[in-house]
Amino acid sequence: MLRTRRNKNIALDIFLLALIFSAAGYLGYRVSIQLHYTWRWSLIWQYLFRFDHEQHRFVANYLILGLLTTLRLSIYACFPALLIGLFMALMRTSRSLFRQLLGRTYIELMRNLPPLVIIFLVYFFLADQITPLLGIDSFIENISPEAGYWLNVLVAPPSSFSPFLSAVLTLAVFEGAYIAEILRGGIESVNRGQWEAAHALGLTRGQSMRHIILPQTFRQVLPPLAGQFISLIKDSSIVSVISIQELTYQGTQLMASTYMTIEVWLLVALMYFVLTFPCSMLIGGIERSFASDSA
Amino acid sequence: MNKQKTPAGNDPIIDVRRICKTYPGPVIALDDFSITVDRGEVLVVIGPSGSGKSTFLRCLNGLEEVDSGEIIIDGIPLDEDEKKRLQIRREVGMVFQSFNLFPHLTVRKNIDLAQRLVRKKSRIEALEFSLHLLDQVGLADMADRYPHQLSGGQQQRVAIARALAMMPAVMLFDEATSALDPEMIGEVLDVMRGLARRGMTMVVVTHEMGFAREVSDRIAFMEEGRLVEEGCGEVFFSHPERLRTKEFLRQIL
Repeated sequence: MLRTRRNKNIALDIFLLALIFSAAGYLGYRVSIQLHYTWRWSLIWQYLFRFDHEQHRFVANYLILGLLTTLRLSIYACFPALLIGLFMALMRTSRSLFRQLLGRTYIELMRNLPPLVIIFLVYFFLADQITPLLGIDSFIENISPEAGYWLNVLVAPPSSFSPFLSAVLTLAVFEGAYIAEILRGGIESVNRGQWEAAHALGLTRGQSMRHIILPQTFRQVLPPLAGQFISLIKDSSIVSVISIQELTYQGTQLMASTYMTIEVWLLVALMYFVLTFPCSMLIGGIERSFASDSA
Repeated sequence: MNKQKTPAGNDPIIDVRRICKTYPGPVIALDDFSITVDRGEVLVVIGPSGSGKSTFLRCLNGLEEVDSGEIIIDGIPLDEDEKKRLQIRREVGMVFQSFNLFPHLTVRKNIDLAQRLVRKKSRIEALEFSLHLLDQVGLADMADRYPHQLSGGQQQRVAIARALAMMPAVMLFDEATSALDPEMIGEVLDVMRGLARRGMTMVVVTHEMGFAREVSDRIAFMEEGRLVEEGCGEVFFSHPERLRTKEFLRQIL
């Protein structure tokens, strides 16, 4: 039905397309005569992969390494974020006023502060106190070379393990607040009759939550939750300010040393898109399969 | 099919004393309402909508809290104490107008869940009893379906089986057939009839007057949160005492 409607407006579509192309063309023309910018596209690719003469093969370079760090950062942060979110959502929907206030305070604080400020607060105050407390630094120092290798592959180089952990913690603390709100919405949207049926069977509030309400909540909030994961990937760029060598950090470093400003950022943008776009497609798929499930 | 029953007041399993309940508004749902139900008795509660029938039922297992008055179920007073409330809910099964099956669980797991969590039965024990109950409500072959794959009548029969799985001493039916298409009402009433025949204590809120007349041991007519009149089935319908009861029966019969 949609398709036939779309075809009817074909004249308008062509007009719009022409408008976009001419605007883009004009912009490109202005740039070419005004910018005096020497494009050096051929030089940028070596920062994705470089040929290693000792190993006689191509190895990942700054940008790819940054992309991998971004990916690791996002994946590791999403688990504690989910835990924090779940905990705070449970607080927020609790019957005790004190717990409600606790959850509310956390969520409002996190959602009403600039993420950059939160990053600095967590990094300089919280993480600085927590890592020595857990003895992570001494643990890293005494690690075997074998374990060090796997740590490097799976998490971060041992030398930057502690800041990496702070970055994960910061992102989790920050995204957790948004996840909490998504989950709270989901919990509250479950039909009241489900609570009543559970209570009528003699289930406690905790049992009802765990076995009846939460399973239905998660089913319902999976699409927005996946959307929040995409936000997490994008938001991970802000931890570049605490020198985590993820994609944006590598971009700024590369720009400073090569002056290939536009090439670098266009490529970085493309790399983020390659990471997030498949996630978006996946969400679309999930939503469609859910829609057909309930139909 | 009048069955032998003990005379009223002999062995009350439900003892409701002067309960009041007001909703914000204020709407008076229950106004100084008292009633007792004997073990093995089927009490049918009728009345116009908004007369407090459902509120009364929901107070009996603590889904609603009363403002004042006392409710004693099987010797246990229903009060602030969370433990007693849970204990009472185990003894009192409830069937809702809108079924309220758990949509994410199969039919069998709907019935298993509380047996395992509340009665602490083993997986096998729960499974066997669930299948037995499904057989009893005529749905043995539906065990692995999900609720949305069943018709309304089938869903309500599963809901009855789910409540029975707790082996309750009392079953509450809150307009159990009101949300059903006419052709499915019969199958649900049949299951309820079977329960009554086997001596289950039941409190039934319904608009099915034929069913009320046939199955009830006693009928209570409620209006504006008060008990207007109560009496035994045939007598109640043929010779109601109060004028208001006569008017109501004339309207619906």
